[in-house]
Amino acid sequence: MTALIEARGVSKRFRQHKRFPGLLGALKTLVTTEYTEVAAVSDVSFDIAAGEAVGYLGPNGAGKSTMIKMMTGILVPSAGTLSVLGRTPHQERMANARQIGVVFGQRSQLWWDLPVVDSFTLHQRIYDIPAARYADNLKRFSDLLDLTPFLDRAVRQLSLGQRMRAEIVMSLLHDPKILFLDEPTIGLDVVAKDAVRRFLAEINRERGVTIILTTHDLQDIETICPRLIMVDHSQLIFDGELGRLRAALGSARRLTLEFATDPGPLPLGTATLTSDEGLLKHYLLEREDVSLVQVLSEVGSERGLKDVALHEPDIEEVIRTFYQRRNAAAAAQ
Amino acid sequence: MIAYAAFARSGFLTSLAYRNEVWANIFGKLVQVFARVAIWLAVYAGVTAVDGISISDMITYALLGGVVMGATRYDRIVRQVGNALKTGDVAIWLLKPVHYPLYLLAIEAGMSAYTFLLAVVPTIAIVALIYGMQPPASLLHGLMFVGFCALSFIIHFLCAAIFGVLAFWLMTVFSLEWLLQSLISLLSGLLIPFWFFPEPFGTIASHQPLAWLVYYPSAVWLGRLDMGATLLYFGIGLGWAGLLATVLALLWHRASSRITVQGG
Ligand SMILES: Nc1ncnc2c1ncn2[C@@H]1O[C@H](COP(=O)(O)OP(=O)(O)OP(=O)(O)O)[C@@H](O)[C@H]1O
Ligand SMILES: [Mg+2]
Repeated sequence: MTALIEARGVSKRFRQHKRFPGLLGALKTLVTTEYTEVAAVSDVSFDIAAGEAVGYLGPNGAGKSTMIKMMTGILVPSAGTLSVLGRTPHQERMANARQIGVVFGQRSQLWWDLPVVDSFTLHQRIYDIPAARYADNLKRFSDLLDLTPFLDRAVRQLSLGQRMRAEIVMSLLHDPKILFLDEPTIGLDVVAKDAVRRFLAEINRERGVTIILTTHDLQDIETICPRLIMVDHSQLIFDGELGRLRAALGSARRLTLEFATDPGPLPLGTATLTSDEGLLKHYLLEREDVSLVQVLSEVGSERGLKDVALHEPDIEEVIRTFYQRRNAAAAAQ
Repeated sequence: MIAYAAFARSGFLTSLAYRNEVWANIFGKLVQVFARVAIWLAVYAGVTAVDGISISDMITYALLGGVVMGATRYDRIVRQVGNALKTGDVAIWLLKPVHYPLYLLAIEAGMSAYTFLLAVVPTIAIVALIYGMQPPASLLHGLMFVGFCALSFIIHFLCAAIFGVLAFWLMTVFSLEWLLQSLISLLSGLLIPFWFFPEPFGTIASHQPLAWLVYYPSAVWLGRLDMGATLLYFGIGLGWAGLLATVLALLWHRASSRITVQGG
């Protein structure tokens, strides 16, 4: 199977006139020919197959939006080759545009002064969507995301959550093969985030729309994207299944033991004591093969053990561990 | 094509969303047209004709200025293009299978149609009832006037859009808007028809593109040009429009490729 999106050594460097501080500096800025270069994306390669859902993750300024803009054809890569649906996006921007959907969390594509449904009809005209197809899609998506109550309201009167749902529906009306979303859940409350996530997961599963989304909210990735691409300082640092990341990092589970009376310090061979609050003791289970039963049998029955809680590491922790190890490795070099 | 017709329609509907503005609009235009008429009444006090042009000609000229310039808003176009480029919002348009300048033209056509029907026509009718307005010199002149009005709209749009794109490289949107306003007041013939300009300024003024905004449409209505000259100047106006469209397309291409290559 050939990939829908192919990135080969893609880089983007932004060149900016060097600026100097102060009044004299301002004059110097006017005449200078010096540039500072910012590497936003450096030598990134990946393949994305039809029907995948990929989460693009990384800290602020890591180059996520830049990569999305290159894939949608509104930024030209400085180096490397990029192919989306067999085309070079910036060279065939219009043809590319017809087959992709794009949502920018920070920028509205709806017509501010018009009712939501008018934006949708304009979208229909722009993309030449056949009437039956359009009506069908509009009905299905509006039902799923519960848009019907505010379809007739002007966009400027919508709440952020309502607007974002409308943006997502609009981006899908022309049956795009790929949907790009740059921080689609930014600023939404828990309920709205949940609605958006479930909707995207369903669209991906049922319609086979390939989804690429950037986010800072790891929950987005957990619900929607089996595959994770992580970038940091413009470079790709991980590409694979979320599960694989967990396994690679060793799923250090956390164990909390609660006692009826303080048994005093209690070091164990099967688990590492991380903090001791007397009645409550926290351990880290670093080894995969150690089971809870083994730990409990080491503690024994005569210590007054009252309760046990085992925490599987959540995605935030996995990623935090990942960054910590990376930084430690970098420092050691 | 269907898309652009839909944009024009939505421009019309968007204006409808702000229908309170209609009254402010009518009032503003009444003041402007009255002011221009009052100036000519003062100038002509005690004189029947200046250079063979009667006060009635001048009142008609002042009203026609309101007809051709009353609906299109250069400031809106300059601001929309300028801000879209400066804030990077234009990226959204690059994401769609649409040509942004044509989109703007369609939207502006819809908005202008709305202002024309709801503000310009009533204003002109009121002032014409009070001061009187001459009919077109002939039926043919009247028909050509309609053609000149369309040309006036196109040239008006192109100039404003060019100024908007220039804001990407030069100064602020505001100062360009102001500059264009001054140029239009002086060089379109809106305030003073070129036949009152001393030579060689009259000849120079009547050959630059802004002359097609007000001066030529009005001169045609009044019969100041015979049919041959009318057609000739219509052709020259089309030439100017073609040239301006080329300039706009080039500037637009440069600005948008700078955005996609350098990120703005
Ligand atoms: N148009 C531009 N001109 C110059 N530098 C830019 C431009 N756009 C982005 N950058 C720089 O490129 C780097 C990557 O930016 P990008 O917007 O891709 O980050 P991001 O991963 O989306 O961050 P965030 O999570 O904050 O949205 C940043 O250092 C940014 O300052
Ligand atoms: Mg970003």
